[in-house]
Amino acid sequence: MKNRDITLHINGEEYRLNVAVNRTLLDVLRDELGMTETKYGCGTGECGACTVLVEDKAVNSCLTLAATMDGKRITTVAGLADFGRLDHIQQAFVDEAAIQCGYCTPGMVMKTASLLAQNPDPSEAEIRHALEGNICRCTGYEKIVKAVRKAAETMPGRAAAVEPCKEVVQ
Amino acid sequence: MSSRILPDFDLLLPQSIPDAVELLSAHRDRITVMAGGTDVMVAMKFAQSPAQLPDYVMSLENVPGLAYVLFDPERGLRIGAKATVADLLAQSEVKRHYRALWHAAQTFATGQVRNTATVLGNLLRASPAGDCSCAIYAIGGVVVLHGTSGRREVDIDDFWLSYGVTARRPDELAVELILPLPAAGSRSAFKRMTRTSEDLAKLNVAVRLEMSGNTCVDARLAMGCVAPTPLRLTRTEALLKGRELTAEVLQRVAASVPWEISPIDDKRSTAEYRKQVSGVLLKRAIQEACGAA
Repeated sequence: MKNRDITLHINGEEYRLNVAVNRTLLDVLRDELGMTETKYGCGTGECGACTVLVEDKAVNSCLTLAATMDGKRITTVAGLADFGRLDHIQQAFVDEAAIQCGYCTPGMVMKTASLLAQNPDPSEAEIRHALEGNICRCTGYEKIVKAVRKAAETMPGRAAAVEPCKEVVQ
Repeated sequence: MSSRILPDFDLLLPQSIPDAVELLSAHRDRITVMAGGTDVMVAMKFAQSPAQLPDYVMSLENVPGLAYVLFDPERGLRIGAKATVADLLAQSEVKRHYRALWHAAQTFATGQVRNTATVLGNLLRASPAGDCSCAIYAIGGVVVLHGTSGRREVDIDDFWLSYGVTARRPDELAVELILPLPAAGSRSAFKRMTRTSEDLAKLNVAVRLEMSGNTCVDARLAMGCVAPTPLRLTRTEALLKGRELTAEVLQRVAASVPWEISPIDDKRSTAEYRKQVSGVLLKRAIQEACGAA
């Protein structure tokens, strides 16, 4: 087949599409759906700018055939915000000024989302290992690592978990 | 070609292993099999000539039941064709019994690639630099192939024929990899040299030793990036077998490695450097395996 009818669930919305089989998921997101928040960097799975979550796992959308994603749940960086309100990861990147040109940021944020889902309290070494597939060419990784730490500390579930302890201290 | 635009092809989506074998048999070398796709996609984007491009890409997406990593106390570790490198890391028995493979998987490419790339795909790519390939070569095992004339097992020792070429026949689908149960006193380790984890290795090495006290009863040593395919260091293995692992023996073992390898100059390193460090890296892998117990 040269084209395939697929259904994608992107950021909670259902999309029924007819895609050419040689289109990547990144192509479909950007060119067919206009979701340009996911970036094209190297096209070979090295830079991580195109990182999205497929069924909650971080993958390079530039190396993923859209036609093989039928029925899958996909999250882009725009799917983290709630009606324009940034989520804790996005807010941590802003607060720590972990953004210079911003091109790598959507991929960094999505990789962070997958890391924190698996490991809500990562060490610096674990953060650096997790971000090995995301390249920033502006300014280095210090602020990005700090932002990931801050995101871990400000994760909504975590705040609730430590609250009873606060009462005990008071 | 470009890093963004994929060439034209027909997508095939078999629903079962027999379906897939039938398609392979019908289209033979005009077909490329895709499980994770992290290698296939890049190869298609950067094909140097139309002759390198497949007419058909066969995705295993709809073939059920191949995404397993199962530890069977009778037979060993079974890794299905769709099991990703991340799936290996999620299996505690891999860390416990197949340490070299676990370590290779842990440092393999990037998190995003580990979530997509399959272990069998690494073997089938037949690159001399494959990290999982190197570890699996040292551990040993068999690749299970299904073809029009039935099922057969190919020992990993006979699997790689030359650069990019395996013993898989055009009508065969690689269905699973089976690693043997580790023998008592067996231990393994993997080491690689590279600039950053996501780069391909400039040199990688894996060892599996069967020890009785400080005496090495049996050894399998594999090295990557030093020949057209992953390489077994059989002459160096002979220097270890039956010997106590003293500093002198380790020194002799390390000195033997450069004579057994034929590395080249490429963008990641030079032949001279690879020869220089190969023995040291092997020695450290042996020491790590013994230390890890």
